[in-house]
Amino acid sequence: MPTIIVDDTRCKGCEMCVIACPRKIIVLDKSAMNGKGYHPARLADPSGCTGCGSCALMCPDVAITVIA
Amino acid sequence: MTASEKVLMKGNEALAEAAILAGCRHFFGYPITPQTEVAAYMSKRLPKVGGCYLQAESEVASVNMVLGAGAAGVRVMTSTSSPGVSLMAEGISYIAGCDVPCLIINVQRAGPGLGGIQPAQGDYWQATRGCGHGDFRLIVLAPSTVQEMVDLVSVAFDLGDRYRVPVMILSDGLLGQMMEPVVLPEPQGGLPPKPWAACGHGGARERNVVNSLYIEPPELEEIIARRFDRYAGIEASEQRCESYLTEDADVVLAAYGASARVCRSAVDAARGKGIRAGMVRPITLWPFPVSAFGQCKAAKAFLTVEMSTGQMVEDVRLAVNCGRPVEFFGRTGGIVPSPAEVLARIEDVAGRYA
Repeated sequence: MPTIIVDDTRCKGCEMCVIACPRKIIVLDKSAMNGKGYHPARLADPSGCTGCGSCALMCPDVAITVIA
Repeated sequence: MTASEKVLMKGNEALAEAAILAGCRHFFGYPITPQTEVAAYMSKRLPKVGGCYLQAESEVASVNMVLGAGAAGVRVMTSTSSPGVSLMAEGISYIAGCDVPCLIINVQRAGPGLGGIQPAQGDYWQATRGCGHGDFRLIVLAPSTVQEMVDLVSVAFDLGDRYRVPVMILSDGLLGQMMEPVVLPEPQGGLPPKPWAACGHGGARERNVVNSLYIEPPELEEIIARRFDRYAGIEASEQRCESYLTEDADVVLAAYGASARVCRSAVDAARGKGIRAGMVRPITLWPFPVSAFGQCKAAKAFLTVEMSTGQMVEDVRLAVNCGRPVEFFGRTGGIVPSPAEVLARIEDVAGRYA
């Protein structure tokens, strides 16, 4: 099943991937905080991911790896 | 990478590279979000170009290291974010009192206190009103794009050296964290000589003393008066701003930094709706570009937009000498206003005054 891996240390919580995701299943994880103080992005519904890669393409900090 | 080639860079990193290209080889700082990438980039790059990167134990220590290096005549900088500037305030006052040039970067976040880590513009007063004890000024430059973050770094160092004043670049978390294409400048050579610097001379001349302590009141008053003569020169010749569609504008917005980006979109949208809107975007916050506001002959009202509860709005009111209404719109807490919100305010102001 396709999924994404977010490198929490690079994520700055800008939400570009949240906007880019055509399935609208990426959210900021308010229960987690990285070293810089940002809430990192998470796949809220792993079963909905198509592995399209839009989030990874959009991420300005290259923090997202897509497992297709 | 050749000159004039466009590269995609994060604001904080572009700013750091620009400082190296401007001849800065000394950085003293302490990490704080959303500024940390400046320090991280410097720690990676400075040792490779024969420079000195030092992460101090605190902001208080780092700003005093800046004073020491600046007194020795080198191009030196520190960077921090809002709470860090408060910690540096004492040292900045000493630097101003010693007439030592340096570059201080403030990548603003929301305050007061620890506040938040998202972008804000609540440090306008702190930056433009001296930001420490005693009578002094900082030259304050406000970029609104990553390219301008780059371009203003060499301007900042040059102004500092010319007038022997500390210079602040007042950025914010949005500009620091965003990525945009930039063209980096050629490395700056031929830095100006600093005959006043305390940098060793092998007994060849009288010793130079860099100091801010003057026990005799008349002597100190004279020093302050001469310093304010320099400030007057800065106010007369160093005002910078961008005037966007102001010539025929009924409603003139005033905004700097990240909020100016939003305002530009809102002005375009207002023009699309037939409202003659424009914008004055101060690039120097001190000296404030007073003359640009005087040139807005057609303006029936001004609208200042800030990511604060209203700080620069006071300078806009002073600039228009209360001759025309100056309204305010702002968001705080780390929230960036949307173009639609600003457009609604423009329509409101235009409806009442235009």
